[in-house]
Amino acid sequence: MGETAVKRIEIEAAGRLRALMRRYFLDLDEAAKDPGRRVAWCTSVGPCEILAAFGFAVYFPENHGALLGTKKISHEMIPRAAGLGYSAEACSYMNSDIGCDLLGCSPLRAMYGIEGPPRPDLLVYSTNQCRDVQEWFRYFGHRYEAMVAGLRPPRHLGEVKAEHIADVRVQLERLIEQIEIRFELRLDRRRLRETVERSSRLSVLWGRVLDTARHRPSPLTFWDMLIHMAPVILMRGSEEAIAYYEALLAEMEERNACGVAAVPGERWRIYWEGMPVWPRLRDLSEKFFDLRTAVVASTYCNSWAFEPFDGGDPLDWMARTSLAIFINRDEASKERFLEQTFDRFDVDGAVFHNARTCPNNTNSRYGMPERLRERLGLPVLVLDGDLADVRFFSTAQSMTNIEAFIEQMEGRS
Amino acid sequence: MTGRVFAGVDAGSSATKCVVLRFESGGETVVGHAVTPSGFDYADASARALREALASAGAVEREIASAVATGYGRAGVRFPDGVPRRSITEITCHARGAREWYPAVRHVIDIGGQDTKVIRLCDRGRMADYRMNAKCAAGTGTFLESIAVRLGLPLAAVDALAMQSTARLTLNSYCTVFTSTEVLERIKAGDAKEDIAMGMFRAIASRVIEMLAAGGRDGPVAATGGVVTHCRAMLRALEEALEVPVHRPPLPQHAGAYGAALLAAEGSAEGDSPALHRAVEAPGGGVGAPSCACGDSRSLNAPSCAGSTSLRGRPC
Repeated sequence: MGETAVKRIEIEAAGRLRALMRRYFLDLDEAAKDPGRRVAWCTSVGPCEILAAFGFAVYFPENHGALLGTKKISHEMIPRAAGLGYSAEACSYMNSDIGCDLLGCSPLRAMYGIEGPPRPDLLVYSTNQCRDVQEWFRYFGHRYEAMVAGLRPPRHLGEVKAEHIADVRVQLERLIEQIEIRFELRLDRRRLRETVERSSRLSVLWGRVLDTARHRPSPLTFWDMLIHMAPVILMRGSEEAIAYYEALLAEMEERNACGVAAVPGERWRIYWEGMPVWPRLRDLSEKFFDLRTAVVASTYCNSWAFEPFDGGDPLDWMARTSLAIFINRDEASKERFLEQTFDRFDVDGAVFHNARTCPNNTNSRYGMPERLRERLGLPVLVLDGDLADVRFFSTAQSMTNIEAFIEQMEGRS
Repeated sequence: MTGRVFAGVDAGSSATKCVVLRFESGGETVVGHAVTPSGFDYADASARALREALASAGAVEREIASAVATGYGRAGVRFPDGVPRRSITEITCHARGAREWYPAVRHVIDIGGQDTKVIRLCDRGRMADYRMNAKCAAGTGTFLESIAVRLGLPLAAVDALAMQSTARLTLNSYCTVFTSTEVLERIKAGDAKEDIAMGMFRAIASRVIEMLAAGGRDGPVAATGGVVTHCRAMLRALEEALEVPVHRPPLPQHAGAYGAALLAAEGSAEGDSPALHRAVEAPGGGVGAPSCACGDSRSLNAPSCAGSTSLRGRPC
């Protein structure tokens, strides 16, 4: 395998992405230092549009958790958090972020010349993804003596019903009221609507970028998506981010028109279920590339492709989209989504990542891979690992698993 | 010398195995095999194993038509310059080797030094799916070795003890370190050492059950790998856990290298030899073929061994 040197074709928009991210982090740093501005921390599928409409500069610590993983330093941070009583098997994003705080260092310094994550005035989480974020934000709220507020939407939904939306809507109104009282602000409802409209446009554009991978050969892979998804998480409601995705979409459509493949000679198409293994992205992407295998779709990257805003009540849209995300659904809904997506992207097999410290974003623990394999006749591989803690991942064993998985598909063809 | 020679090298975490096949023009097949400690240098270990296997098959390097490297250290395997080579995982190679011995086999359990794999084969003998142990030594050869060291016994002595067990005793199988401690606790508590030794093999078998359950338990089962080679108690524990007979090939430790050599022949432009087809399709030596552990280098899979060179189904 890999005996023929095949070159990866770089995505041109990548340079623009780097500049965008730089501006985002420098602005956060400025906001934290400017007495006239405020910083809010928010979970990645939390109510960030409200925070942006209030004028907060919004920071997402999960991004920092992923960054620590990508920089391969999480395992140095996690023991520090464990020393405080946070289990080493609790969320490794949370543990590495807390450990990083205790050590007083951050890769943001080397990357952008800033001291680290911006000091928060407010922290807002939503448990629509997991309970760990609540503890994570509680730690930093205490650390910075900042206000912590949380949404607790109904979990594990089959159908998202009106009563669920109403429940979250009430919580959003309560959050707005809390912020107004604490910071003596008044939410500009028109500004909220505009922010939601832009957030929706951004999300729809991101969904269209992901959909370009339905083309054979695929113009981009999961590994590219993981890099290019940053603005849709960090910059919801930003015109700059919209312009960026318009450019990326145009580039991917151009690739499809010209038949440019992210994996030249694409032989197999794979779905990735679960979290990325951030510290081993390069190893994994190179392995799949060498095997002429394109990972064309994933649950993870699709998590920020929300349904479009219908022009109605912005809070209803925020409530509905925060409830409808994959991670907040029941097993039957998840299985249905996976089956439909396997079909839409015409995949030959699926990899389920069993992330040791992220049970909520792991769907291989209750028989789902086996059920899908049985029902669809699709090869399925479960890879043991973790999103950030590399101690739970064996590179050699995983590479053998992946190679054998491809050999299994070759044997079927 | 006539015919084409194909080599398979399985560079495992503990041992490097090599099998050499020669398909002679007269239809006979000569087999050579070797095993050597892997140490820290897979290139060196693989070269040594290949040299010994070639010698036992009466072949020389320049006759090798093609070769396949497999196993944990497959990327480091060294073949002579100019030999076409491929790299194939040990999962595929073990499945191929076991199927050659037992064409009707549906499950292959390979218990190696670092990994335990359960491979399910479909009706046509292709790999349907497989499972590998998690990143943990429990349930592997290393699990046994480390506890044997803690007890100050060679593995062969642990096996001999286990085969004398009369009472059922089960040990925790989730952590090698804690199992070692549990073994010491059991000794202090006065449990029979024979039963404790057998409990260690049962612990491995219970991990295998976890992996096997996913694919169902239909059809014949074969066990391969170093642990099965050296420990009769492992086979006993597996049969007890699965409640079916488990086939033990003549050279279980060489199953991966054997599969690799067969795949080298099948993947070679000139490997499509009538002899290979006969070897693959011959009815003899299928499921139910008695095991052979004679260790004769030229009788990789004969039902009984006395020194001839047949690949399968004939007395050697």
